[in-house]
Amino acid sequence: MDRAFAAISDPTRRGILHRLGRGDASISDLASQFDMTLTGMKKHIAVLEGAGLVATAKVGRVRTCRLGPQRLDAEAAWMRMYQEMVDARLDRLGKFLERTKGGAS
Amino acid sequence: MSAATKSANKSTVSKPSDREIRIERTFDAPRDRVWRAFTDPKLLAQWWGRGNKLVIEKFELERGGHWRFVEHGPEGKHGFEGRFREVTPKDRIVQTFEWDGMPAYVIIETLELTDLGDGRTKVVTLSLFHTTEERDGMLESGMEEGLNQSYEALDRLLATME
Repeated sequence: MDRAFAAISDPTRRGILHRLGRGDASISDLASQFDMTLTGMKKHIAVLEGAGLVATAKVGRVRTCRLGPQRLDAEAAWMRMYQEMVDARLDRLGKFLERTKGGAS
Repeated sequence: MSAATKSANKSTVSKPSDREIRIERTFDAPRDRVWRAFTDPKLLAQWWGRGNKLVIEKFELERGGHWRFVEHGPEGKHGFEGRFREVTPKDRIVQTFEWDGMPAYVIIETLELTDLGDGRTKVVTLSLFHTTEERDGMLESGMEEGLNQSYEALDRLLATME
């Protein structure tokens, strides 16, 4: 979850997810659309790919990006992470209550 | 005796509407203790932050009061904040929730505690996601298909969760 968290914490990466939600794009297309260097865009794509939010495939000399196996855009990814966060938090609350049982409460 | 009732308590996740997620769970603890775990900053800091250090910068537990938590994880800091909209002791808290990483995605969270009368407490969190305006703005910008796909993915995800 931390990886996905880190992946969508950046506004450019959220923009990339929104863009890919409308159709596939090459890294160089994305770089020019987001007005950044190819190297910079590659780094963002690597982070998104590491979180499973984007998948890439090399066709000829062009690396094409599309939404990853999760098929989630930034908003849905955020909702999902939020939900996991709430759920995991309740887990920890349960453990905390267990651990502090009988304490000066 | 508590060993026998050792909790296999699990969350129940449901979607009461297009914009809400409801998570219900029962805890083997009386309501007073659960309330304190949610409202005493010293206790909150011990469980809220995913095992990371949690700094509670603000916690003004009253209507209109501001709260702000900063979680110090291995991959950096994450700030969360919001305002309290309703505070009814031992019963109910309504607050806004915003993560620094997704500014303007404000979630309205309702926390409800119910005393089950046998030393256990039912905790229900209801999360209401972003405004209709934001949603409609998204649709106008051609996001409909992407959103539908996302919601389908979310549906599948929710279906796999107990």
